[in-house]
Amino acid sequence: MNNIEIQNGTGPLLGPVKAPQPAGSSEGGSFGDMFKNAINSVNRQQRVADQAIEDLATGRNADIHRTMIEMEKADVSFQLVMQVRNKLITAYEEIMRIQV
Amino acid sequence: MDFFSSLKISSSGLSAQRLKMNLISSNLANVNTTRTPQGGPYQRKEVVLKAEPVKSEFYDALQSRLKGRISEVEVADINEDSRPPVVKFDPNHPDADEKGYVSFPNINVIEEMVDMMTASRSYEANVTAITTAKNMAAKALEIGR
Repeated sequence: MNNIEIQNGTGPLLGPVKAPQPAGSSEGGSFGDMFKNAINSVNRQQRVADQAIEDLATGRNADIHRTMIEMEKADVSFQLVMQVRNKLITAYEEIMRIQV
Repeated sequence: MDFFSSLKISSSGLSAQRLKMNLISSNLANVNTTRTPQGGPYQRKEVVLKAEPVKSEFYDALQSRLKGRISEVEVADINEDSRPPVVKFDPNHPDADEKGYVSFPNINVIEEMVDMMTASRSYEANVTAITTAKNMAAKALEIGR
């Protein structure tokens, strides 16, 4: 996955991501790292939602809407990462279809 | 404006309306209360709301462009209504004064019901805002499909 690099054309869209690095280097900037970070942050959001559910169930936080909003945030984040994954798989399949 | 900020703003609105609802419940429950820890009849309470600039993760970056334009709501204070109590003549009441008059809270149930409808509708409006923000995000995700 690390070999898939962000091309110059998409650079400006991603702002904080570092400039494209030479292929093969694994430190920062590669698409793989960005995707990994995205998955980590979605995972964090899921944990926050779990915590919110637990807080509601144990009565530590009585706000139903807070819990629901945390769950929705987790859901939307997850949907976003799924869309990125789908695009990634499509691109991979497209490349695998190249005739040698 | 990022998606999470709009959820955060609506969430503050929901919290404010819930607190308002709690105060209305309190006012309705204490409509005939003549004793309070502070002494005297129960005083009608109402919420004072205040706009507070949104503090999001991107707040610093956004501030230059959206300075003070986007605000969430915050409960600034719970105000005690200073209307004089309703005085009724009832010499048998244990809280009657020496002339036989009892002070009851000046709470108009109809007014409370109207406030309750307002709180309920405001809550619904905030929920609708959340649903719409969520649907917008979902629509944006459909671009990739």
